[in-house]
Amino acid sequence: MYQYDAIDRAFLTDRVEEFRHQVARRLAGEITEDQFKPLRLMNGLYLQLHAYMLRIAIPYGTLSAVQLRQLAHIARTYDKGYGHFTTRTNLQFHWIKLRDAGDILADLAKVDLHAIQTSGNCIRNVTADPRAGATAEEVDDPRVWAEVIRQWSTLHPEFSFLPRKFKIAVTASAKDRTAARTHDIGLALRRGRDGDLGFEVMVGGGLGRTPYIGKTIREHLPVSRLLSYLEAVLRVYNRHGRRDNIYKARIKILVAQLGAEAFAREVEDEWAKLDPARVDLPDLELARIRAFFAPPNFDVLPAVSEAFEAAKARDTGFARFARHNVHPHKARGYAIVDVSLKAPGQTPGDASAEQMDLIADLAERYSLGEVRVTLEQNLVLPHVKLDDLPAVYAALATQGLASANIELVSDIIACPGLDYCALANARSINIAQDIALRFADPAKAEAIGELKIKISGCINACGHHHVGHIGILGVDKKGEEFYQLTLGGSGAEDAEVGKMLGPALPAGRVAEAIDELVEVYLRERRDGERFLDTYRRTGLEPFKEAVYATAH
Amino acid sequence: MMALTANRLIDGEVVFWSAGRWVEHFGQAELFEAEDRAGDAEARAKTETTVVISPYLIAVAAAEDGYAPVSYRERLRALGPTNTPHHGKQAEGGHDADVIARALGAARSGGRIDLIKRK
Repeated sequence: MYQYDAIDRAFLTDRVEEFRHQVARRLAGEITEDQFKPLRLMNGLYLQLHAYMLRIAIPYGTLSAVQLRQLAHIARTYDKGYGHFTTRTNLQFHWIKLRDAGDILADLAKVDLHAIQTSGNCIRNVTADPRAGATAEEVDDPRVWAEVIRQWSTLHPEFSFLPRKFKIAVTASAKDRTAARTHDIGLALRRGRDGDLGFEVMVGGGLGRTPYIGKTIREHLPVSRLLSYLEAVLRVYNRHGRRDNIYKARIKILVAQLGAEAFAREVEDEWAKLDPARVDLPDLELARIRAFFAPPNFDVLPAVSEAFEAAKARDTGFARFARHNVHPHKARGYAIVDVSLKAPGQTPGDASAEQMDLIADLAERYSLGEVRVTLEQNLVLPHVKLDDLPAVYAALATQGLASANIELVSDIIACPGLDYCALANARSINIAQDIALRFADPAKAEAIGELKIKISGCINACGHHHVGHIGILGVDKKGEEFYQLTLGGSGAEDAEVGKMLGPALPAGRVAEAIDELVEVYLRERRDGERFLDTYRRTGLEPFKEAVYATAH
Repeated sequence: MMALTANRLIDGEVVFWSAGRWVEHFGQAELFEAEDRAGDAEARAKTETTVVISPYLIAVAAAEDGYAPVSYRERLRALGPTNTPHHGKQAEGGHDADVIARALGAARSGGRIDLIKRK
C-alpha cells in the first residue's frame, strides 16, 4: 500500500482549504460559474442531471479496509447511502451537494484519498492489474510502477494542460486485466531474454468516438528509464496533439495520423534530448516506493485446504462461487477472491454503505486489510486463506455479494448512462438489468461460459462497449432510446474493436437479441470455445441472421 | 408550451421557475405560452448567478391529465433515475409525478429550446 508522508498530508489539507475558499467565493458571487467550473473539476466535482457528482481517485484500484470504510461513511453522511465503482477503478458519488464538498474532501484526506486529476486534460488516475501482488502470473508488482507514475504525474506542471485527458495502465501478467491497449499509454512489464525487466510500451489506444487499439512503439524499455520515456511521449503529444478540435485531441489521433513508426521516432528523438539524471527515478527512491508494496508475511500453509474441499462438496452454490470467483494465489493455501457487484437486477458497480462496510470488515479479518477495484466494476479480496473461503462466502451472501458470475454473461459493465450522466443519449443500467435477469439462472450462465457484455450510454464509451465480446451502445434515434450492438471486441491481451452487427434495436428488443446471439453461439461452438472464439471462427453472419432475419 | 429549469448552485437540485422564484417540482413550474414571456423569465433567471447554474427553457406538452416535459431527458430530470425509484423527486410520488412518469414519446434528447441559437 502506498504511504503518505507529512508533506503529502499537509498538501492535501491545504488543497481542501483552498477548495473551501473557492466554493465560498462562488457562493458569494465573487467568481462566476465559468471561472469556478474548472476549479471544481480539478477536484473531481461534476454537475450531472440530478445533483453534483464527486469522482474519487482510487490509486490503481488499491484500497485499504480503513479507506473503504471511510467511503461508506461518506456515502451514508453526504450521499444516498451508496457509491458507484467505475471502469477506471474510481468511485463516484452521484448525489453530492456543493455545500458539503469541502467536508467530503476533508474526510477523504483523513484516509489519504482525494479527487485530484479525476477530471480535466491531465494524466488521470493510473490503473493496474487488480491481482497485483497476489497472482503468480506477474513478473513484478505493477503497483510499484503505477505508484512511481502517480508521484511523477500528480500536479506535474508541464502536463496539467494537455490537449486532452490522458490515461495510463500498467500490467505485469501475460493475461491483461487492465485493457492496456485501450489506454493512451499501456505498459506491460516483461522479462527480456537476458532476464532484465522492461516495459512493452503501447501508445495511442482509446475508445470513444474513434476507437483505436494501442500500437507498440517500444518492445523493451529498461524499467529504470520509465519516467524519461513517458516524459518524451507526453512532450511529443503536448507539442503536436490537436487543441483545435476536441474530437481529435487525444493521442490516439496523433499516433494514427503520424503512424506508429513516425511517432516512435519523434519520441526517441525527444528522449535522446532528456537528461536521465534529471527525470529518471533514483534507485534509492525506487527502493523506498518498492518497500510500500513489500509482500506481506503469508502464513505457511498446505496447498490443499480440507475445509475448502469439504465446503465445495457440500454446497453446490459455494462450489460454483469457487469455480468463478476464486483464483489461484502466489502463496500456497491462499486465494484471490472476486466480489461481484453484479447481482442480477442490481445496478452494475453500485455498492451500498453496508456492503462497503462488510467488505472492509472481511478485508481486515481475512485479506490482510486489502481491497482492490477492477475495471469490470467489481471488488477483489486479494489475500484470502483457502480455509477461510467458506466463511467469506457466507458473509458476502448476507449482503447479496456472493453472485458467482465473474466473467459470465451477467457480469456486465455499464456506465451510469442517461439515468445520471449529463452526456448520455440513452440509459445503460436498465439494459444491463434486463440482460442479467434474463440470464439470472446461474447454471445457464455457467453453461454459456465467458461472455463479456459492455454497455455505454453514449459514444464516449465509459462502458467500454467497443471491446465487449458483445458491445451495446445507446443512441438517440429521433428522441427514443435505441441500442447499437457490436460483436467480437476484446479489451484483453487479444485486444480488438468489435464489429457492428446491424441497425440499432429498440430498448425492449436488446435482452431478447442477446438471447438470440447466445443461442447461435451454443449451436455453433466447438470444444472449449468461448463466445468470442466462436464469433472469430464463424464471423458476423450467423449472428446477424439470428437477430435480424425474423421479423420483429 | 415551455418551462424554465436549472440546477440549484448550492446542492445541484433540479429546480423550475415559478413566478419569480425557484421550486423543486415540475408540477409547480410556471408554464409559458408566449415566447416573449418565457424569454423575459429566462433573462431574469440568468441574472441569479448565485442561486442557479445555466437556466434554460424546455418544451412542455399536454399529457394525460396534466403536463409533462417533451424530452425523455427532461422527464428523467423531473423525476429521478429509473434504476432507483426511491431516489429523486419521484420518491415523493403524487399526481404530477404520475403524469410525467406516464408521458410517452420523446423529442430530441436535449429538449432545450433554442439550443442551436444558444451556442
